[in-house]
Amino acid sequence: MPSNPAKLKVIWLQGITCNGNTHSFLNDPALGTLLETIEFIHHPLLPCQKTLKELVKKVPKSDILIFEGSYNAAFERAGVEMRTLLPALAHKAKHIISMGSCASFGGIFKENDPEHISGIVFDRENASGPLKSMQEKVITLSGCPAHPKWLSFVIDMISAGREILVDEFRRPKELYAYLVHNGCLRNEYFEWKVDSEHFGTKEGCLFYAQGCQGPFTHGSCNKILWNEVSSKTRSGTPCVGCTEPTFPKRELFTTKTYMSIPSEMPLGIPKRSYLALAGAAKSFHIKRLEERLIDDHA
Amino acid sequence: MITHELIERIEGEAVLDFKTDKSGRVEDTAIRFLHFRGMEAILEGRNALDALVITPRVCGICGHSHLIATVKMIENVYRNAGAAIRISDKANAIRQITLSCELIQNHIKWLYLVMLHESGKMVGEEPTVALKALYVSSQVNQLCALFSGQWPHSSYALPGGVSCDPTHIEVMQGLKILSDVERFVEDEVLGCTPEMFEQTMRDNTVLNLKGDFGTVLRNFERLKVLDTGKSHGRFLVLGDERIAMANGIRSSAELALVSEDASQTFEHGGKTYAKNALYNGEFYEGGPLARALVQERAGVGDLYRIYEDSAVTRLSARVGEMVLLCAQVRQLLTSLDLSQPSFIPPPAIESISAEGIGIIEAPRGSLIHRARIERGKIVSYSIITPTQWNLGNGTASNRGIAQKAMIGAESIAKASLIFRTFDVCSVCTTH
Repeated sequence: MPSNPAKLKVIWLQGITCNGNTHSFLNDPALGTLLETIEFIHHPLLPCQKTLKELVKKVPKSDILIFEGSYNAAFERAGVEMRTLLPALAHKAKHIISMGSCASFGGIFKENDPEHISGIVFDRENASGPLKSMQEKVITLSGCPAHPKWLSFVIDMISAGREILVDEFRRPKELYAYLVHNGCLRNEYFEWKVDSEHFGTKEGCLFYAQGCQGPFTHGSCNKILWNEVSSKTRSGTPCVGCTEPTFPKRELFTTKTYMSIPSEMPLGIPKRSYLALAGAAKSFHIKRLEERLIDDHA
Repeated sequence: MITHELIERIEGEAVLDFKTDKSGRVEDTAIRFLHFRGMEAILEGRNALDALVITPRVCGICGHSHLIATVKMIENVYRNAGAAIRISDKANAIRQITLSCELIQNHIKWLYLVMLHESGKMVGEEPTVALKALYVSSQVNQLCALFSGQWPHSSYALPGGVSCDPTHIEVMQGLKILSDVERFVEDEVLGCTPEMFEQTMRDNTVLNLKGDFGTVLRNFERLKVLDTGKSHGRFLVLGDERIAMANGIRSSAELALVSEDASQTFEHGGKTYAKNALYNGEFYEGGPLARALVQERAGVGDLYRIYEDSAVTRLSARVGEMVLLCAQVRQLLTSLDLSQPSFIPPPAIESISAEGIGIIEAPRGSLIHRARIERGKIVSYSIITPTQWNLGNGTASNRGIAQKAMIGAESIAKASLIFRTFDVCSVCTTH
């Protein structure tokens, strides 16, 4: 074991949350190794140095503040409002990780009270959250939930003192430059414009009718697999765009179309280019792609 | 004396108000949940299928239960609208497998992160992070994800079936994981085979169990709380089968007798966001103990006859359920007929208008989703979570389940430990 005497001191604080990121984090099969490099001053479920009550009494310094859940100034933890608690902890933290889409953009819970609920730096796309002035030290890990490996990657980079390249929402490019579409097992059906007739089959692309947002959603879900083995699209579920500030959109299982083509294009692809290619691809009938993949299924 | 105690290291946080006498004995309690997220309002006006994405986000540890309750509710809406909808045995079996995985991982986390840890702390033997238990939970979630794509927050169950179309490779991987989980349960949790565990419940020798569950029971024994924590002895199961049990007598349960009581909430001058869930106007306990008793499972029934609904019976029921579910998942995986369709397309949701209800047995008890759908849109949505049954706040003459179980405890710390035997989830309670 490499000698690493100084463990990073981490505080995990929750706003308005379902605990989904906490449980996603606990799925990390390398949790034991990670815990050799960090120690929790506070964590909502794991044994830690300070209870919430102790944490709010005397706000400690930390190397990393992880915030899970959406932000509402009047929301309380241990009787202290977020408007006081979050900036106090943030000022004393060297790095801040916005864990999940609620903390990053407001997420699902913002829907209930859009005026008062936001992410910690971003409110949907706008950098108007309470920590906007210190966004330089915030790393966004959007996703509902965020993948445990995404978190351990960021912790590892911080621990090694390496620079993390980020996009406009401060998401690490090494994780979010990819689209959910990349690595999807149905890519060939996308290329040849063969749509999935209905759910529950191995064949066809879910982008044309079932509402899949994979071609325009940033995330490495099909590179760094979920629970080490799968992803939404690999289990036949359309991507719901959960890493984007627009999450949750409406009509999540239907593709909105305009003149019978998807109204939202794959990221960065001009409509004209798409149409030219789609028209050509559709004109061929590729027998192999129109048949069942494994014929022993009725 | 009145003490306000913040209960942490549960799902979310809760505040317990204790009234104690001079010796510190708990004379009265109130359970308060201070966070509210408005999930039902978020759903209203949306396409009914969007609920398959929104409701899992009620809860990070039992979101899959919410997904399955939602899909059952929508399928019930279809039937009530007179529309044809069929689910293959395969799709039903896969849903049962993934739901059972959620219960198993929940019970493992509760046993190690909450019961072993908290009881250990109180006897001066605080254990280190339960990494082995967390690793096994992650494996159980991996088994789930082989079918559901991910855990937490999958949306793979849709009206008509499931979105996945697994091959024998997923089944084989699932069985391998399950073998590891079964080995963990035998070697670490119980210290014996499932058959021997059942025998210890029958013989009233569970305290001799060598595994970590034995340690939890012995910690409780040292704290003299093992046979405390009795409540009303009324039990209710509404998912799968509908049975109520009171005064030792089982009877079929009527959905019409289920009600929600908001009298203790902030809205009505109270001190909590949680609404009480009542059956026939009274508090009934849900969850593993209720399920074991109404199904007359061997072992737990024997403990109940001696100790009634005290901590030892409640704890054993949850661990017993973990064992039972592993066996059921094995049975389902080995008998899965992959040649059946995963999904049978139903008519478009936009053509459907009706009310519906979906009830399933979640980790902590019966979970009810109800909604009214108009031409595919959600007009109203209502969720009753298991913890609303168990953690309700009653009046002096009609105490809630966990409330009654805590009254008479020798100290606030012991009452709080009893509270945790109910597997507290505040995020669900105040959705």
